Amino acid sequence: MALVRNILKQTVTYKLFKSILVNLIDFMEVMGNITTCTIEFFKSLFKGELDRKELIVQCERFGISSLPITLSIVGMTSVIIVSQVAQEMVKQGGGNFVGALVAVLIVRELGVIMSGFAIISMIGSSLASELATMRVTEQIDALKTLKVNPFGYLFAPRVVAGMLMMPLVVIISSLFGILAGALTSDLAAGLSYRVYFESIWIGIFAKDLFVCLAKAVCFGAVIALISCTFGYYASGGAKGVGIATTRAVVWSFVAIVIIDMLFAIAFFF
Amino acid sequence: MSIEVKKLVKAFGEKKVIDDVSFKVNDGEILAIVGFSGSGKSTILKLISNLVEKDSGEIITSGGDIAFVFQYSALFDSLTVFDNIAFALHERNDLRKKYSEKQIREIVNEKLGLVGLKGIENLFPSELSGGMQKRVSFARAIVTEPKVILYDEPTAGLDPIASTLIEDYILRLRNETGATSIVVTHQMSTIQRTADKVIMLYDGKIVFTGTPQELCNTDNEYAKQFVTASIEGPMHIIEQ
Repeated sequence: MALVRNILKQTVTYKLFKSILVNLIDFMEVMGNITTCTIEFFKSLFKGELDRKELIVQCERFGISSLPITLSIVGMTSVIIVSQVAQEMVKQGGGNFVGALVAVLIVRELGVIMSGFAIISMIGSSLASELATMRVTEQIDALKTLKVNPFGYLFAPRVVAGMLMMPLVVIISSLFGILAGALTSDLAAGLSYRVYFESIWIGIFAKDLFVCLAKAVCFGAVIALISCTFGYYASGGAKGVGIATTRAVVWSFVAIVIIDMLFAIAFFF
Repeated sequence: MSIEVKKLVKAFGEKKVIDDVSFKVNDGEILAIVGFSGSGKSTILKLISNLVEKDSGEIITSGGDIAFVFQYSALFDSLTVFDNIAFALHERNDLRKKYSEKQIREIVNEKLGLVGLKGIENLFPSELSGGMQKRVSFARAIVTEPKVILYDEPTAGLDPIASTLIEDYILRLRNETGATSIVVTHQMSTIQRTADKVIMLYDGKIVFTGTPQELCNTDNEYAKQFVTASIEGPMHIIEQ
């Protein structure tokens, strides 16, 4: 019997099912942790435990320190797209729609998702590693023994800052992307700025702006919440900090793509 | 404030780390919890301070703050010494509006004076020696006038002179604040110089109770092995 069991354990099917089961348990655990932290975050908000001084610090972190990288990414994405399509569109007689195309792409999708990716890699990773370091050096335990709620002191300012600053970052980076598109259209296809900017309003509606900002608020909250959660539950010294940071980045990436898809289905399907 | 622990049990997975432990610490007393690494000493402190939830048993305290001095200080490394000590006064909901900034500054100075570290308010924890970090963590712990102070290996990793200094501060804090204290340690000097009572843990159970003098002169095989630091005896190194 033991021999049969050992042989079965060597099979690919067994290893596959075992791996699926382990990943499923891990997934459930992470979802449980995120849910717990979300509930505790809202509870701390309702109890008025949001630390305002810390909120300002986190707003600076989210909004100002991330701006150079988000501007660069959205701006360069715009340049890449316009370089490839502007000349062709002008040749085919569609020069009047280059601005509209760029604006729709950036406002509906690229501005917010590219900013999201930039924020995850810059801010999300640093939030996760910061909280994970605090966890493994017992600083979070110290907060608890001083009777300061870690959700009010650590989570609330970071998540609220994400919700407040992400839309601002998206607005600025989207405007920058549209401007970069105008410059590239001029240089690559000789399209005048007037034609470019006039066509923007052909493709953009109030609904697009609303969806863009709503997505930005959701992305900001989700990135901060997931990053803080992985940091908060980290364990095991320096290796644990690394694992928490990597997982926070991966989960945040997947989460914002899922949210983006849900928004697309809900508003544009 | 006295602390009474009755039939306390805590397991991590299959392993019972604390197994039916009972003891009492009277008001203003210093209890030393001793034992080899992995015997469950620090877990008792974490259970008393609610950092870890107990499985069963009772922990009876008569109200008031419980302060915790961590083994590695656990100072907030992004804050200055002043902000670390004033942290609870700035951030705790019930204390936030109780004191003006001037009063907070006075309290912080008083606590820093108590641990002999005046004039370092603007330094960051990384700029301090290990002994100084410990003393700052003492000051942070006592800023809310706690009735109980829990020390987790306060002299571990310090040189003998720094250890003596820390032991003196443990006694001084008890004498000046009247706080009941529990000191987790495996250093004989700390036990002998600070404790009124000693309990020894092995494998999650109490195997000796007495005074520091009794610990050194007892026939208890566990205590004898601990005091003589012998490999031979009833206690074996517990696999973590």
